[in-house]
Amino acid sequence: MTPLASIAGAVLSVTPWRLERRLEVDAKRAALTRIGGAVGAMIVVGILLLLTGRNAFWIFWQALDAIFGRQRGIEGVALRAIPILMTALGVALSLRMKVWNIGSDGQFLMGALAAVGVGIHMDGPGWLVLILMAAAATVAGAAWILVPALARAYWDVNEIITTLLLNFVALQLVTWSALGFWRDKAAAVIQSTREVPFTLPDLPGADSVTVALLVPLVIAAVLWWVFRSTTIGYEIDTIGGNPRAAGFAGIAVRRRILVVMLFTGAIAGLGGMLQLSAPGAQAMNAGFSAQFGLSGFIVAALAGASFWGVIGGGLFIASMFYAGIVLQTKGLSVYIIFAIYGVILTGIALGEIAARYRVVRRDAADETEASAADAAAAPQGAGS
Amino acid sequence: MTGDSKRPSVEARGISKAFGGVAALDAVDFEVSWSEVHALVGENGAGKTTLCNILAGIYRADGGQVIVDGTERDFRSPAHAIDAGIGMVHQHFRLVEPMTVAENIHLGWPETPGVVSQRALIDRTERFMGEMGLHVDPTAKIWQLSVGEQQRVEILRVLARGARVLILDEPTAVLTAKEAEELFAVIRELAASGLSVIFITHKLREVLAVSDRLTVLRHGIREITRPTEGATASEIARLMTGEERVLDVEHRAVTGDPALELRGVSALNDRGITALQDVDLTVRSGEILGIAGVSGNGQTELAEVICALRGLESGSITVDGSDIASMSVRAVTDMGVGHIPEDRIGMGMVTSAPVKDNAVLHSYWTEPFSQGLTLNRHSVIDFAKRLVESARVQTRSIFATAGQLSGGNQQRLVARREALVADRLLVAAHPTRGLDVNAAQEVRSTILDRRDSGCAVLLISDDLDEVLLMSDRIAVIYEGRIMGVFDAADADREHIGLLMGGHSIAEAVA
Amino acid sequence: MILAIIENAFLSLIGSAIPASAVVMLAATGAMLGERVGVLNLGQEGLIGIGAVYSVIAVLSWNVQSPWLAMLIGMVAAGVAGLIFAVCVVAFRASQVLVGLALALGGIGLSNQLGVNRNGTPIQTLFREVNPGGLLDNNDAVSAFFFHDPVVYIAYIGLPVVLWFVLFRTRHGMNMRAVGENPAAADAVGVSVTGWRIFYSVLGAAITGAGGAYMVLSFTPTWSPDIARGRGWVALAVVIFAGWRPGWAVAGALLYGSMISLDTTAQARGWGLPFMGASDLSFFLSMLPYVVTLVAILIPAGAVKLGRRVRSTAAPAALAIPYSREER
Repeated sequence: MTPLASIAGAVLSVTPWRLERRLEVDAKRAALTRIGGAVGAMIVVGILLLLTGRNAFWIFWQALDAIFGRQRGIEGVALRAIPILMTALGVALSLRMKVWNIGSDGQFLMGALAAVGVGIHMDGPGWLVLILMAAAATVAGAAWILVPALARAYWDVNEIITTLLLNFVALQLVTWSALGFWRDKAAAVIQSTREVPFTLPDLPGADSVTVALLVPLVIAAVLWWVFRSTTIGYEIDTIGGNPRAAGFAGIAVRRRILVVMLFTGAIAGLGGMLQLSAPGAQAMNAGFSAQFGLSGFIVAALAGASFWGVIGGGLFIASMFYAGIVLQTKGLSVYIIFAIYGVILTGIALGEIAARYRVVRRDAADETEASAADAAAAPQGAGS
Repeated sequence: MTGDSKRPSVEARGISKAFGGVAALDAVDFEVSWSEVHALVGENGAGKTTLCNILAGIYRADGGQVIVDGTERDFRSPAHAIDAGIGMVHQHFRLVEPMTVAENIHLGWPETPGVVSQRALIDRTERFMGEMGLHVDPTAKIWQLSVGEQQRVEILRVLARGARVLILDEPTAVLTAKEAEELFAVIRELAASGLSVIFITHKLREVLAVSDRLTVLRHGIREITRPTEGATASEIARLMTGEERVLDVEHRAVTGDPALELRGVSALNDRGITALQDVDLTVRSGEILGIAGVSGNGQTELAEVICALRGLESGSITVDGSDIASMSVRAVTDMGVGHIPEDRIGMGMVTSAPVKDNAVLHSYWTEPFSQGLTLNRHSVIDFAKRLVESARVQTRSIFATAGQLSGGNQQRLVARREALVADRLLVAAHPTRGLDVNAAQEVRSTILDRRDSGCAVLLISDDLDEVLLMSDRIAVIYEGRIMGVFDAADADREHIGLLMGGHSIAEAVA
Repeated sequence: MILAIIENAFLSLIGSAIPASAVVMLAATGAMLGERVGVLNLGQEGLIGIGAVYSVIAVLSWNVQSPWLAMLIGMVAAGVAGLIFAVCVVAFRASQVLVGLALALGGIGLSNQLGVNRNGTPIQTLFREVNPGGLLDNNDAVSAFFFHDPVVYIAYIGLPVVLWFVLFRTRHGMNMRAVGENPAAADAVGVSVTGWRIFYSVLGAAITGAGGAYMVLSFTPTWSPDIARGRGWVALAVVIFAGWRPGWAVAGALLYGSMISLDTTAQARGWGLPFMGASDLSFFLSMLPYVVTLVAILIPAGAVKLGRRVRSTAAPAALAIPYSREER
């Protein structure tokens, strides 16, 4: 037992309850404790805000009002949700295989950059150019993760740092494009690329949200189906659960890792194109991404393995993100959002652990313990 | 030497230990004298290791007393037990692989000098080895050592800290016959110098060969403590197993078609060192070919090359006459080759996945589970239900994770699953390792059923009794070479034991 | 003549690389310290920010006059953050990857928030250069190579030597390595795995914090948002490149640093290429440090895969794996 768990155990020892490790953690409970951890983290943030002399309740109320009080608020959340959901879906897919793609920001940027390249250099019917932009973005996103994916799949190089380093390269490349090779020379003051003259159509009844919002929903549905009803999903889950068992079952583990990682990059890259095709966002500058990849990462961590969970978590994080932007005018900086992200992510990680313990009454002996004894009764068991 | 030689070195009175309501030890009394080798005997799951873990401070007893050299003790950690002079060598060694022998012996030891050079550590180690009369190259890294040498490092480490009571948990399970003999000599010498040695085993021959007294445990209860002199193997066996049914296996001389043929097969292990050398083997339909040998002599690699999990350096492997050298794992499986892997948790299943998904791990791509791309959940569930029922796997539900199954139930699941895959050939690697008697019997029955329905079986086991019991023919493997192949009727235990230790046939017969 | 020019160029490149990558050097040492006992702290980027911002606060708001004291304050702040991290991942066994990323994010956010009113304010309390022995005259290249403030000497010589000595020449270091390689073995011989892991995570975080403090107390003496600019991640890469050996981290850090100074030198001198103008070349060169670092990580792995097995460069076997006695 870990020391703090034993401290907790000591505290409980004067009560009729005690702490016990679960042999099995079911997915629903783990999801609940993760959400609990995130909520607990929000409460901690609220207390910190109160302690630093800010009225947390007022801020919370302002945020709710800013989001749900008017249509512009809801659309503002939806607009932020698109890039966050796309990067989150990519990360969630990689997490199914226990691969950490932390470079979704870079893939997102490269997707957008490729889309800009196509958009400002091609003439033709808008729908065709938009399709080509999407295709280019998808390919660019996948290409940006190619080296980390090859290194992970065939050289067993951990992907966390390789994917992350490429974020910085992508950011420099975007800066170069905005200040250098694709710079908008007509508007000398604004340091950004030329504008793509095409946008996606708005959703019916919306002022600014385009049909791009449907794309992450469709991708989530497809991924949900793949993992529920296809052998490919089964194989990816098997690799995530135990790569040696996957090899035993005849799954081409390395090739699968490569292909899935390329897909995660492609989804993030497409997200970049979707972001670019919204009215008013048709050019790129150094601040194009606003760390959407990191937000997406938090969403994926919160949702665990569930793609529908990604949609719910994505809307939640997008609301926070939007609230942070709105509240900037009210004495909070956008930086604080990242600090809050950090606390929430810690809460999620702790919640994940909490799912492994439970409090039971002292006299209760049940089947879980019986199987513990069963396992302990065979001490020569393999892998002990 | 230490303490009063008349009173016991260690005494356990009325020790009880339960894991969640199920008693692992029930009011067990146990005592060991100075200068004594005391064998603690019992089947897997009888409570031997649990009792010793309590003596060594790893578990705490629910009830009872531990008295060391006349003083009652309550150990809270292994360090406390070491301070009281009790040291345990576990079945799975606790050594740091990339570090040297000298470093491992000095690890965590307060008497190690604060600033040390390799030279100083080596000198100290050599001096110490001289005193103890036990020798291992102190400059070698642990991963370069044989299992027997690693065990010696563990023993040295415990003795270095002044242990007067040495507990050895199944020390011969991983040793060759020759290494085991050397260990016995060391044990006798230690006892002669005044120490107590507690020797956990389930091998009767070893009990008779090395111990002064023996204690038999069964189902957490002490059956008997008596001097070894005058005890017979059959008497101990009866006390160990009680009235358990013993499998009766009929050996057959089979003349079926060769289902599996290996010709001049050589292969490397994970470290790139030759693990199989020029292996020729034939397994016929309807027979069990047993591979006898000490673990680590190429058995793992043998199973893996046959299932296409490992490439060949040279030679050929044919199943039903077709060469599988260039085939994928999947293609070999599709020919009807099942494989009960040695490491069932590490390779045979996904413990985080539900039982139902594990039930189809080796067949999910075939009809009726899969049509093209899709996976038919209903047929997977139906199949898993039937599998769990026929293999008598005790589980709450097929939707619960495989990790919550006990070891015995996991192996029941894997063995039955692979038996259903194996139309032509079943490779069973250590299929009953770590199982209790009932689970072991069931897994053996599953394998025998397969044989009786005409499947070829390659049985790999480091338990020579199991190989002798189950096999129709027996091949002995040593350092990646096949030392000889015998019909079960002609198999002579001692002869095979010598071959397992690397003696040639000529030496063994002489 | 030409040789002398090349030699001069090389000296001045490395010379300006030394301070440029002192931060990376300190963060790599801090990260390596934790990783040697099996704790992977991905939060280096955040720790640099926290160390830097608290040193800035110490100087600007608390009127601390000594750079050493300001650095110590930065180290304590980063150490506290490291303690929170360590309690979560070691005592509670939470995922090191998740909490590490949380620390990276949270640290960047917190430091930016705290620094927001201090952007661009110059810092006067600085470390001074030392001239070793007063023996050298002020020749350009030579001075670039040798004249640095004391933190540089500590980062490149002091810390690596001490860390090497402790790890490989003391009983304590032997036990440390055992905790990182096989915690069960260390536990079995009475080494407190939990205690050591927490202690060295905190110490490592403080050293990384010193890196952040160095940035604002010497290298770029002012606060600016996102101050680490990826150096924390580069430091983690340097540890891999170095194969967890303190001495090799110096080579890794200098490799990164020379790419940085190549970029700044090119900008300052307006270098260009026939097919690439000065500004384009500068944009291109600014990507190079990260690309070179990425390639550097691939080298050890590639060497193993391509047949030249180097066992001593493997990661500690228990890196990022939580330990608990009950789960054996």
